[in-house]
Amino acid sequence: MSDRKTLQIQRISGHPGSVAGEGTQRQEKLCKLIDTTTCIGCKACEVACVEWNDMPFQPTMFDNTYQTMPDTNWNYWNLIKFNEVSSDDGSFQWLMRKHQCMHCADPGCLAACPADGAIVQYRNGIVDFQEENCIGCQFCVSGCPFNVPKFNPSTKKVYKCTLCSDRVGSGLEPACIKACPTGCLHFGTKDDMLQLAGRRVTQLQQHAGLKDAGIYDPQTIGGTSVVYVLHDATNPEKYGGLPKNPRIPLAFTIWKSWFKPLGLIASMMAFAGVVMHYVTEGPRRVQPQPPVKEIDGGEARKEN
Amino acid sequence: MGTSAQRLGGKNHFINRIGLTVVYAGELLRHRAYTRFLHWSYGIFFFLALLSGFGIYMPWIFRWFTPLFGGGAMTRMLHPWFGLGFVFFFGLQAINWLTEMSWGPGDTRWIRRLKDYVTHRNTTEPPDVGFFNAGQKAMFWEIVGGSVAYVITGVIMWFPEIFGRWPVAVSYIIHDISALIMLAGIFVHIYLSTIGEPGTMQAMTRGTVSEAWAWTHHPRWYNDVTGRDPVQALDAARLSQTQVPPRSID
Amino acid sequence: MTNGWVDIKNSDMMLIMGGNPAENHPCGFKWVVEAKRNRNAKVIVVDPRFTRTASQADQFLQIRTGSDIAFLGGLIRYALENNRFNQEYLVHYTNAAFLVKDGFKLPEDGLYSGFDQNAKTYDKTTWNYQEVGGVTAVAGATSHPSGAVSHAEGQGHQAQGPAGAKGMGGGPIPPPMLPPNVAYDLSLQHPRCVFQLLKQQYSRYTPEMVERITGIPKDQAIKAWDTFTSIRQNGDMKKAGTIIYAVGWTQHSSGTQTIRTAAMIQLLLGNVGRAGGGVNALRGHSNIQGATDMAGIFDILPGYLKMPTPADTDLKAYLTRTTPKPSKPKEWDSFNYWSDTPAFTVSLLKALYGDAATKANDFAFNWLPKIDRKYSWAEIWDDMYNGKVKGMLAFGMNGVMIGPNAKKNIEALKKADFLVVCEIYPDETSEFWRAPGTTAEDMKKINTTVYRLPGAGFAEKDGTFVNSARWLQWKWAAVPPPGDCKLDQEILARIFLKVRDKYQNEGGKFPHPILKASWSYSNPYNPSLSEVAREINGKALADVTDAKTSTTIKADQQLPGFAFLRDDGSTMSGNWLYCGSWTEAGAMSQRRGPEDPSGLGIHPNWGWSWPMNRRVLYNRASCDLNGKPWDPDRKQVWWSETKQKWVGNDVPDFKADSDPKTHMGPFIMNPEGVGRLFVPIGAVADGPFPEHYEPTESPIANPLHPSQSNNPIAKRFKSDLDKYGTVDQGFNIICTTYRLTEHYHYWTKNNPMNVQLVPEPFVEIPAELAEQMGLHGGEKVKVTSARAEYIAKAMVTRRIKGMMIDGKKTYQIGIPIHWGFRGIAEDEGKTAKTPVNLLSPAVIDPNAYTPEFKGFLVKLEKV
Repeated sequence: MSDRKTLQIQRISGHPGSVAGEGTQRQEKLCKLIDTTTCIGCKACEVACVEWNDMPFQPTMFDNTYQTMPDTNWNYWNLIKFNEVSSDDGSFQWLMRKHQCMHCADPGCLAACPADGAIVQYRNGIVDFQEENCIGCQFCVSGCPFNVPKFNPSTKKVYKCTLCSDRVGSGLEPACIKACPTGCLHFGTKDDMLQLAGRRVTQLQQHAGLKDAGIYDPQTIGGTSVVYVLHDATNPEKYGGLPKNPRIPLAFTIWKSWFKPLGLIASMMAFAGVVMHYVTEGPRRVQPQPPVKEIDGGEARKEN
Repeated sequence: MGTSAQRLGGKNHFINRIGLTVVYAGELLRHRAYTRFLHWSYGIFFFLALLSGFGIYMPWIFRWFTPLFGGGAMTRMLHPWFGLGFVFFFGLQAINWLTEMSWGPGDTRWIRRLKDYVTHRNTTEPPDVGFFNAGQKAMFWEIVGGSVAYVITGVIMWFPEIFGRWPVAVSYIIHDISALIMLAGIFVHIYLSTIGEPGTMQAMTRGTVSEAWAWTHHPRWYNDVTGRDPVQALDAARLSQTQVPPRSID
Repeated sequence: MTNGWVDIKNSDMMLIMGGNPAENHPCGFKWVVEAKRNRNAKVIVVDPRFTRTASQADQFLQIRTGSDIAFLGGLIRYALENNRFNQEYLVHYTNAAFLVKDGFKLPEDGLYSGFDQNAKTYDKTTWNYQEVGGVTAVAGATSHPSGAVSHAEGQGHQAQGPAGAKGMGGGPIPPPMLPPNVAYDLSLQHPRCVFQLLKQQYSRYTPEMVERITGIPKDQAIKAWDTFTSIRQNGDMKKAGTIIYAVGWTQHSSGTQTIRTAAMIQLLLGNVGRAGGGVNALRGHSNIQGATDMAGIFDILPGYLKMPTPADTDLKAYLTRTTPKPSKPKEWDSFNYWSDTPAFTVSLLKALYGDAATKANDFAFNWLPKIDRKYSWAEIWDDMYNGKVKGMLAFGMNGVMIGPNAKKNIEALKKADFLVVCEIYPDETSEFWRAPGTTAEDMKKINTTVYRLPGAGFAEKDGTFVNSARWLQWKWAAVPPPGDCKLDQEILARIFLKVRDKYQNEGGKFPHPILKASWSYSNPYNPSLSEVAREINGKALADVTDAKTSTTIKADQQLPGFAFLRDDGSTMSGNWLYCGSWTEAGAMSQRRGPEDPSGLGIHPNWGWSWPMNRRVLYNRASCDLNGKPWDPDRKQVWWSETKQKWVGNDVPDFKADSDPKTHMGPFIMNPEGVGRLFVPIGAVADGPFPEHYEPTESPIANPLHPSQSNNPIAKRFKSDLDKYGTVDQGFNIICTTYRLTEHYHYWTKNNPMNVQLVPEPFVEIPAELAEQMGLHGGEKVKVTSARAEYIAKAMVTRRIKGMMIDGKKTYQIGIPIHWGFRGIAEDEGKTAKTPVNLLSPAVIDPNAYTPEFKGFLVKLEKV
């Protein structure tokens, strides 16, 4: 990175015109690598996230699982999902996957967001919410293929993992990475992380008997800045609902980028139409009525 | 025989008692105060919802609308309430106009000769055009349908956590389409009620129209309220070749 | 640990059993992951439950709790039958070739030779080596046969070795009656040699028998044995495997023997002393290793010196009893490090009593307390319950929660006169009087005076932690203690000074140990821990010269190592093992040099590990007989012909100038100089070889010998509250207890963040069993043992499966231990609010006196 202290913006939600300062400096794509094969579900990342972001205490309930809560929350951005998986061959796995914002290259939240500057994507790949610009419409919630953004009903704003943009902007790694005790989490440039992940996958395939091991970096959304190594990349759903082919709903891509302006233009055609009509056909004048035989008196009358 | 206009709007509605309509000579009562009150109420809500919605619909063009409502978050917060306001008042109007807006065989014929209407082929409307013409009725029913769509999709988008991701995404499109249709409609509506058909605006301001306006645009209604058969009268006029003197109607 | 946390990364093969490091040692588990990632190491996990650790395993086996010796015995049998050992290591570094006395009998019927049915004790005379010429020194030859038995049992604890590698054969002070000239057979063919007896002992642990006892299908067991021993395929010594365990092994009535079995496997496979090998105990508290080193146990003095007994009438008698003499084949050499016991003892006495300890008064030896019997944890509570112990100072421990049969502890406290609790939270012990079920009427009858002292938390104190790897690491206080809270040393100092004043002013019985205790701190009311640490390291009281190197340490200088300790009163040291930790160069424990030149994770300049900064104990065994490393890629130490001394990346754990030709054994803490496959003369109380005994509460009779099902010498208590359940009484489910990553014992239930992670107690129940009971996750269940009942929500899981034990379908359940009747508001009303240890039985292992928390019988009902 030419300057670690700067986060270069690449995209801004609902913003007209170009992005200020675009292309003035080069910035590497950053990436968090989560090797689920070495995650022990210790929740150090959960605690680090809560502590660094100064989240308020949230009461939880016993739910027949080691998982802290059913899903992430507006004040709980990082959650390890625990899944007990029995396979047909009788083998059993207890899969643990750190769930958080994936920081998609093609972010569904940003595509859906109608508020100028509420969501920005930095050139390093971080997709960050700027809560002061958030209008609380929650379109991002439905735009996200990973069900990440969460609405806080009291502030009427949406929150999610920032990939610790505050720390990264200062040249530090995200808090979860810092806390991970086993080295399951790595942070670096996307190229490096993919290389690391590739090596690990090869190792798993050759030495751990995991033929289906693979990298999760879904291209359906342009890849992500959070990449998983999975024991079984053919079936990411079993890791607590990781979609195999995550997609941004058409509503937020084709509709928003193409049909919306076209629709608006079509609507505006009505305006053009009436103008044309006035010019070509002119107004329809009131015709004199046939002769009146009996006309009421000239006095006004009141009706009610 | 009570006219349609008299029957409408609930004779005893308090608004009608507050806001009396003065009908001058040569004029006909078209919309009572209650109807006009409803019209302008949902009209205001329509524009509030429209403008606030624009800010959210396509902020890169219409971002300058949001400050009007106190910023993006406030715009977002107010928009569903504007929408509800519109739907509420329009709903009352729908009840108010239900019978008048019912579709008849003449309406279908009217739609078939829509081109003639647009091109002013005849100077007056066909004699079977009553209190509302088929164009007005079509627009009315479009708004009724649109309002239902607004409410359903709007509520889904308002509380996405209850309905989930895909219903919201679908609602998003339907809500938009509905808005676009109404946007197109509002241009036509404003045009026809102002410069497109002079003399119309008065119906929603003072509540009256000139008899000639009624004769021109709504012959059957003219017949209903004046007791004169516009067709015969017209024929008679043509036969006598009498020039009907122009008469100020405004 | 014989090795260390970082060293695990050097391993090729890991057997994790009796421990759940991913759960309880997540930071240390990093090194397991490193070994997997960087060396393609294999991990075998054996546990009653599919744990967080199991999620990382290459092979997981579900074992019945308490049947570990059967599984490990099967492993020994497999290794022996399939030539999975190295002859050179086995013959020269272990006592495999030693001949055993003729009268010694293996426990085919469940009992070794010498059992006294009435006293429930062993006469260990026959548990010994044969002397050359057949003249064997006999324990009975001493004038104190009964005393010898009791001493030998007392030594059992030390048999765990200073490394905490229990039963390693690493550090016991052997009784002085081993034969000096041991008969042996290097061909290992003699029917009375240890190797042949070992073969015979474990020939009974067939895969079929192991399956009956443990519930592990035999093909799975064989696969695991094959995988683990594959590192020694055809005796090739290149690879190394480690065994990692924790209290899942210790907390059984045969706990020490389980660990010994692991030690034997590692000796057999030649894994001890090797980088990536060893027997590695994971300590469950940040400083439990330090607590053990500093003698937080009744039967030792600091540095694993033995506690005097009434028979030790003077220092000489004590030293004669406790200082071992070499016992080995005549042609071999033995360093016999414990021969320095007199120097260690006298230096300790000088540290304790200062100038008052003089040669004339035997260095005040008789001021030391002498133990006439055992005073282990469970016994203290039993004594209190029986009205013998009248008061208690509870510092940094929550006695009501951690004891087995907690009801008895609560009742015992009701009978005490006073209780002093120093804690950072109001805990269950200080509020034992309002334990659930105590009525207002009951409370009126409790006359115990309770004092609560506000202590300081770990982040508010400086000092050292000694981790599982024996590293002393200094930590600095992060924040001062809040309010009136005081540091531990200040509280203790003020109590001590007050007591001393009272003795001074009012006199008392036997005042010298108190009045003459050395207390020369600059602030006697709040001694600084750096002063204490310097005192523990020790200093010269007169000029001391090391003859070999001609180095002289001047009077009042800090000692650089225990080689300088003297038995003439010219040195003092609070713990010889820590000598070298705070030298004239400063505090070694404060060093933070991250460099690791060898890449073996030795980090010689980070902190300081005892002894003498050695990171891997017995590292001489990492070399062959000629002093060349077994694995040239993992060179720890080696014999340098040019320098004529042992050198290396690690500090050689050996006599530095001992030429390999002298055949000095690498296990310098044993008088034999070699590792013990056979433990002579009762250094382990329940037998020279481990034998599988059923837990005290077991669903089956021992298939090996039904008539002697349980450990014959494990202690049970006899009070009216000590009840033991059987299957016939309806207790048909096995229950085990454990900790969670998200909580730390009984105090994180006071911290919102931890409470958020796991809010309330639960009982883990196999899905199969839950289905039979019609039980769903989240519903409440009642767990009843012979002693009490416990109610919590059910966690129905497929991570525990039903098993076939000796032909019977058997289920195991598990309960985390963390909740009690004190906690923050977030916790209130949701928890079971009763200690899990109400359920567990008070039965203790005869060596380490650890209660059997893991594996007792219960019944289960829907609430």
